[in-house]
Amino acid sequence: MATTSKQYKAIGEDLWKNKSEKVNAELFALTYGALVVQLIQDYEDYAEVNKQLEKMGYNIGTRLIEEFLAKSSLGRCADFKDVGEVIAKVGFKSFLNITPNITHAQLQPTTSPTTKSQSTGATPGSMFSLTFDDNPLAEFVELPEEALEGGLWFSNVFCGVIRGALEMVQMQVTAEFISDVLRGDETTEIRVKLIKLLEEEVPAGDD
Amino acid sequence: MADAQMRYMDGPAFDFFLIEMVNTLRASSAHAQARARKVEQEMIDAGLLPAPLPTPGMHKHHKDSTASLASRATAKVEDEEEGLKLRLEAIGMHVGANIAEKLCHGKPYFSETLDSIKFVCKDLWAACWDKQVDNLRTNHRGVYVLQDNSFKPIARLSSWEGRQDATKRARVYVMMSAGIVRGALSRLGLIGVVVPEISNLPQCTFQIKLPKPS
Repeated sequence: MATTSKQYKAIGEDLWKNKSEKVNAELFALTYGALVVQLIQDYEDYAEVNKQLEKMGYNIGTRLIEEFLAKSSLGRCADFKDVGEVIAKVGFKSFLNITPNITHAQLQPTTSPTTKSQSTGATPGSMFSLTFDDNPLAEFVELPEEALEGGLWFSNVFCGVIRGALEMVQMQVTAEFISDVLRGDETTEIRVKLIKLLEEEVPAGDD
Repeated sequence: MADAQMRYMDGPAFDFFLIEMVNTLRASSAHAQARARKVEQEMIDAGLLPAPLPTPGMHKHHKDSTASLASRATAKVEDEEEGLKLRLEAIGMHVGANIAEKLCHGKPYFSETLDSIKFVCKDLWAACWDKQVDNLRTNHRGVYVLQDNSFKPIARLSSWEGRQDATKRARVYVMMSAGIVRGALSRLGLIGVVVPEISNLPQCTFQIKLPKPS
């Protein structure tokens, strides 16, 4: 039975209300903001800061997905569209109490369709965009001019979280900011694109 | 003092963030220190800075070279650990000052230092860590010791890992918490130092040293 968008929304709401031990999110926003400033000082290179934020997010995502799967008891997603719905309506909702808007798109698949049996019906080349009307990280932030020109993606941790979480469920994706209101853009948007499905690997040392 | 507008997030998710933040800062601190050492070396090579004096025992005997390498490596690790702790404290100070500002917005400064300390023990603690300090002691000469028997940022740690590891990790994390206290105090007009101490997870004490009133 395919889960509808509305059902995902209800699941997300339920997880947030009932299965979430809550903490003051201002701590997060303030801490993250100070961290970004520190990284700018330490690396003196906005591209490198973006990379470090993404890497940090990746590590968070690899842990967060387990928490998420345990909490939500959701099964495999039917396709990449489903993946996007779950991330937007259940993932972000249950962890940050926000629900980014989602739009789906499909690029022409560049690889041959004869892939190995797939754990999901996701097609490489699929993508979705998440648009954030509400970014909890950005509550106290104003970026200096040079950060805007220097190419800093302030909330790049989100991209890493998405990439890390999905890699743990055998999807290799790219997740990148397309725009950010902190940079003076109209919207804050992350584009997530499926590169390929990954073989499930047995971790070394397991019987 | 519940703020109707207060925004929340998932607790464990925040913990994951803090854990990875520490790793990220460890790396950035090492990077910054390596860069500083490189610049220093360039200036030494260019004759702009004098070469460092050999530390006692370092170049005494060539057989000591392994020992000196080890001691230099240890010094480097200590430097990096120090760099990490300073960064965590600095971030904490930013957080604490802003949280205190938000809590106190519109209210006049406390006239008595003790009232400020009590504010920290109650209001700041509640806003950050969902409880109040369990025990407050003072020598009435500018030193206050705040004790939390189950300090939230580290209470979770002890349930995930072996005790020794957890204590070691906890000592790093609480640098940020100490910074939060220090930052909050500074926003209340009190400039001092805050030293955290963990002897018995999940208990944590914070020793606040304020300059004696003149």
